[in-house]
Amino acid sequence: MSRGVAITGIGVISAIGNNAKENHASLISGKIGISKISQIETIHKDEIMVGEIPTLNHELEKQLGLSEDEYSRTPMIGIVAVQEAISSAGITDINDCKCGLISGTTVGGMDKSEQYFYDYFQNEEHWNHITGLNAGDSTNKIAAYIGLEESFVTTISTACSSAANAIMLGARMIKSGQLDRVIVGGTDCMSKFTLNGFKTLMIQSDTYNTPFDENRKGLNLGEAAAYLVLESDKIVSRDNKEVLAYVKGYGNANDAYHQTASSEHGDGAVLAMEKALKVAALPSEAIDYVNAHGTATPNNDLSEGRALLRIFGDKVPEFSSTKAYTGHTLAAAGGVEAVYSVMALQNNIIYPNLNFKTPMKEFDLLPETEVKEKELKTVLSNSFGFGGNCSTLIFSKEA
Amino acid sequence: MSELKLELKEKIIEQLNLEDLSVEEISDSEPLFGEGLGLDSIDALELIVMLDKDYGIKLADPKEGRKILESIDTMAAYISANGS
Repeated sequence: MSRGVAITGIGVISAIGNNAKENHASLISGKIGISKISQIETIHKDEIMVGEIPTLNHELEKQLGLSEDEYSRTPMIGIVAVQEAISSAGITDINDCKCGLISGTTVGGMDKSEQYFYDYFQNEEHWNHITGLNAGDSTNKIAAYIGLEESFVTTISTACSSAANAIMLGARMIKSGQLDRVIVGGTDCMSKFTLNGFKTLMIQSDTYNTPFDENRKGLNLGEAAAYLVLESDKIVSRDNKEVLAYVKGYGNANDAYHQTASSEHGDGAVLAMEKALKVAALPSEAIDYVNAHGTATPNNDLSEGRALLRIFGDKVPEFSSTKAYTGHTLAAAGGVEAVYSVMALQNNIIYPNLNFKTPMKEFDLLPETEVKEKELKTVLSNSFGFGGNCSTLIFSKEA
Repeated sequence: MSELKLELKEKIIEQLNLEDLSVEEISDSEPLFGEGLGLDSIDALELIVMLDKDYGIKLADPKEGRKILESIDTMAAYISANGS
């Protein structure tokens, strides 16, 4: 029951790289992707910083053979990451077994809706984007693009825990034999809607985000797409696949506290981590590294820090938030950080928590501030979403 | 000042969809958050937006907002001193 699910492929596009190799290179060289916003006109442009994917829409359209303004940015970056994951898994025929796609998103086609909404009433020119109002549209477009025949294609939209929940659902579908292969993760592009919403919540920083720092001012929003390919043991042996790591444990629990804030002592986070350890049948001591949610908001880092102490006691393992590199990529975050967790395992490297200067006064937690080489067997990754939706994934080298 | 306070009460009821409440039921000095009216932090954000849009008051710090939004009295006093 606690045997892990094989991960055979990874794909990611973010502010720090267009594929896994580029992301890893940035992570180990301290190359961050946070900057002033350049691709969207906004009245808030001097008050925020963001993690933009440098590739512009017309370049993505060219890369993917799409016509101008055909797709929203969300499925386009999703396709890029999914294609990389499929290729990295050595898949030549996506339909050579029961295959599914589970993708998380919060933005969906909002990047286009917000541009064209009022035009819809005047003429039909941009009506192709109306379907994008439904979050599932981006997932359907990705599935159609990769030629996935009708199997199991679905969308998860639980805010910042979406991709983690997608990975969890995919692992369970494999374990229960309902799928032999599933592509899981998430995609979210930058949109005015998101920027404005987070502005109203007053949790964005006007400078580089500083996770777990006493003087943290808030998050930087980011855009990204990241996916894993999970395959059953049957397919792994049939095709003699190289397994990159295993999804060893997973847990989801609700904080039941507030729409957008976490409870003071991280109740939901504690429950999620406990569940994940239980599924993995591992004690907390088995965790070698925690990739924290670490958004650098006053609320999250305090809540999550306390939760880590409740789970690990005085033996909190090395931990870091990689959001200082990529920003908070919302629905994609759980996928990006899953990919980073797999790369950490493969390279036996702990990625640093950048920009950290002053420990938080509430406790004695110091994140890793430099790239650290360490033999890693098991990594825990947290993703906590609005609505108290808390998810934890555990990845390990062994099944 | 009392005109402003009445206006604030009307706006709060409308902005926060407090359908069952009338302006007479909101006292000038009762706490708006926690006890009293029992508003929460999401309501606070809505009121901050209202202060910006209707009275030109820009609050950068949510903690600053807490003090100003304590009651109708404190809101009216702040607006009279700082509004445009």
